[in-house]
Amino acid sequence: MVSKDRQQGGAAAVLAVMVAIVALVLGLAACGGGGGGGGDSSEAPTAKAGPVKGDLTISNWPGYIEPGKDGTVAEFEDETGVSVKYIEDVNDNEDFLGKLQPQLEQGESGGRSIFVVTDWMAELMYDLGYLQEINSDDLPTVFENMSASLRDPSFDPGRKFSIPWQSGMTGIWVDQSKAPEIKSINDLFDPKYKGKVTMLSEMRDTVALVMKAEGVDPAEATNEDWLAAIDKVKSAVDSGQIRRFTGNEYNEDLNAGNVVAAIGWSGDASIISNENAEWVMPTEGCVLWSDNMVIPVGAPNTPAALGWMEFVYQPEVAVKLAEYITYVSPVEGLEDLAKPEVAKNPLVFPTPEFQKNCSTQVSPPDVEEVEEAWQDVLTG
Amino acid sequence: MRSLKQRLVPFWLLGPGLLWLIFFFVVPMYFMGELALYSGSLRSGFELTWAFENFPNALSGHEEQILRSFFYAGTATLLCLLIGYPLAYAIAFRAGRFKTLLLFAVIAPFFTTYLIRTIAWKTILSDDSPVVSVLQTLSLTPGDGRVLATSGAVIAGLTYNFLPFMILPLYANLERLDLRLVEAAKDLYSSSRTAFLKVTLPLTMPGIVAGVLLTFIPAFGDYINAELLGGTGQAMIGNVIQSLYLNQRNYPEAAALSFLMMALILVIVLVYIRFAGTEAFMGDEDDAEGAK
Repeated sequence: MVSKDRQQGGAAAVLAVMVAIVALVLGLAACGGGGGGGGDSSEAPTAKAGPVKGDLTISNWPGYIEPGKDGTVAEFEDETGVSVKYIEDVNDNEDFLGKLQPQLEQGESGGRSIFVVTDWMAELMYDLGYLQEINSDDLPTVFENMSASLRDPSFDPGRKFSIPWQSGMTGIWVDQSKAPEIKSINDLFDPKYKGKVTMLSEMRDTVALVMKAEGVDPAEATNEDWLAAIDKVKSAVDSGQIRRFTGNEYNEDLNAGNVVAAIGWSGDASIISNENAEWVMPTEGCVLWSDNMVIPVGAPNTPAALGWMEFVYQPEVAVKLAEYITYVSPVEGLEDLAKPEVAKNPLVFPTPEFQKNCSTQVSPPDVEEVEEAWQDVLTG
Repeated sequence: MRSLKQRLVPFWLLGPGLLWLIFFFVVPMYFMGELALYSGSLRSGFELTWAFENFPNALSGHEEQILRSFFYAGTATLLCLLIGYPLAYAIAFRAGRFKTLLLFAVIAPFFTTYLIRTIAWKTILSDDSPVVSVLQTLSLTPGDGRVLATSGAVIAGLTYNFLPFMILPLYANLERLDLRLVEAAKDLYSSSRTAFLKVTLPLTMPGIVAGVLLTFIPAFGDYINAELLGGTGQAMIGNVIQSLYLNQRNYPEAAALSFLMMALILVIVLVYIRFAGTEAFMGDEDDAEGAK
């Protein structure tokens, strides 16, 4: 039989546990709240350099690297002994920030040491105090080989916090077996293709292209120009013209044969299995952008992250990558190293003539207002 | 002393459930409630300003998606009931030795995650798929001959995904039905139809009410089906909340909208239970006893 003492002890233990739980909950409630500090004015930390070893986690877009045993990651691992966790979890800049923002706000990166995000997102993340600065002395190979045109972008002169990963063009992927006549953005609004067209949820791509189709230069565009272009997209949504808005997964509908054309990025051939799909430079020109490697606050093992940047900027590594993923490499002078058929590919080595009507990606004058109008269209 | 121990037994039994509720419901609710009263932006920082205007702001402009969510979830629930009731009935009374196998078949899809199953429907319903070609030949597809990225696809997805939630409570309820009551009705010269309407249906009302709630509530808040199977103009309120949280990073308004939707669902459920009767919801034990 159990003694009375022990029974009492058990009861006391239960009460103690309950009290502890209540205290814990109240404590949690007290220290919680404060959803986001924002506008951190303090100096951004600088990524520490050092010996390249240990583990490294990289977040990148799908189809943005050569996979497999001979791929870029495997080569880096072989050369340095670093164990890399390479995740393709960036499908859309907005979504990616949305997912990680609560952690970044706490100074954590979810274990990641490198993100790859587009220019404007790198700028936004830096402004929010979510990125570490990079000392150019730690990256001799990068700064020796980087294309001259990428060295001083307006959002990050001298490349203090962003190192270009690849550059590309936003245009139209067209299923040539179904709609070879599609040549311009305006063709996407042709009722003939009702429900057979997708557009990117990236406002700075889709809306900028629609403005160009209307004859507006995005660099000079006013808020009204942006809103007018959004209205044009909205009426196309209302009429059922546009099937979906997508992130990088626009390849799915294209591969499944659900669409005849999709606004998409120039170098995604490696994830588009539809053999009839071809990237077309719109007659009104394309949108030019770069995706950048950035080192977030709280990134573990920054020496390995810097080591990765140095590695991918070696011409022999960069050329192999460019041949596989067919985006525009940030490394200068690869034409001579590339296989002849790649050297002739205007998507990998675009000539000024090919890009003559293209515009650099920009944000609208009043981002918040335009962004809200755009989101209303996306969730219409 | 023994009585103290006895008095504590319920707490021990309730403990795990209570802990669950506290950590995964009460605490998050508290934070969400607080967040709904903040104002500001990611750039300027968020501050607690008791911004009650977040609530009307969150609603305005989203009426369409709320109505659409009602329509989609309501239609899916109705379809689930129409498909689920005969199925549960057949499993309970007509399946014989296949009963266990059929029940297993109802639950089997859960062995694959919800997301994967929904993505599979994308392939099944893609424009060039055999399924859609057959539907096109039968002229069962809407205007432009596609199924994917239409309201129909979203409702079908919801129906498919939540069907087991309808079947299981219905089955549990039908299982317990005393068939002698149906026999008695027939002895008293009732037709099969009348016996069903006057005996079986009223007695299985608790299962129907539970099934409808278990289907409607998650279907109303769902966003995966609209995201994957829908296109433009098929966003449900869940998609709006997701966009507010992840894309616009307007956390206060997203929290306010989530709260309002929760309140709305709560009101609907209360009205529904009141209308259907608490006995129907809880199951009238006295009646069950009396029947025996």
